Amino acid sequence: MKRTYQFLLLLYPRGHRDQFADEMMDVFEEASAEGRERGWAWSVRFAFSEMTGLVGGAAGAWLDNRRAAAPAVSAQTPARGWMPPELADAQERVDANIAAMVHAIANHQFERARQLSNLEREARENLRVLREKYGDEYGMSL
Amino acid sequence: MRHVIPQATLETKPLSEPVLLILTSLAAHPRHGYALIQDIELLSAGRVRMSTGTLFGALRRLLEDGWIERFEQEDTARQKQAYRLTGVGRRQLELELDRMKLLTRAGFARLRASEAP
Repeated sequence: MKRTYQFLLLLYPRGHRDQFADEMMDVFEEASAEGRERGWAWSVRFAFSEMTGLVGGAAGAWLDNRRAAAPAVSAQTPARGWMPPELADAQERVDANIAAMVHAIANHQFERARQLSNLEREARENLRVLREKYGDEYGMSL
Repeated sequence: MRHVIPQATLETKPLSEPVLLILTSLAAHPRHGYALIQDIELLSAGRVRMSTGTLFGALRRLLEDGWIERFEQEDTARQKQAYRLTGVGRRQLELELDRMKLLTRAGFARLRASEAP
């Protein structure tokens, strides 16, 4: 079960994993040890609750990321509402990857979600580079 | 004594149950993750056993909102990340408890009124 838990942690955004993954693993192990004392029925309920909690938590973390990113992007967008097509494409790619990943997680397609997570990281890095490129011209602060 | 409700209470959305339980658990003293899970189970009389996914999702949001803060706590065996309420978090908890108290009083008053002959 520990390996399944470690695998499911990969569904979280990198920022959340960097901040909490080790701690979550520690807490999970402490709780698992308690489960061994409470009997098998409790352990089954515990395992189910942990796995569904992780999937739901990962979906929530991605949605929070998306919400946090949205005002930042709109704040950086020039008042006339236009941005270079290259930059708009990159932003759309990030948004599409996040939406696809949330959909995959909701449908328990974890391998697909992991692949999308890698794609999303690349897309976000590309967006960051483009924002740096166009930042001065469009008054974007990074 | 007349109970005065702070204006902010009316503007604050009710807290979710996990958030309310976490803030209540931290009101007494700081706790690390596993201690929070155990205390929340105790606080809710065994009704709520929070999963780590739910717990750390809520902790992340509370940290981002500045309602709690994280620090290293010396444990018997090793250092652990622990959490404590900030001033803002304590105020939010007070507001929510005030809101609940008001609602509870109103609810009981209406029950009593409906039972009256």
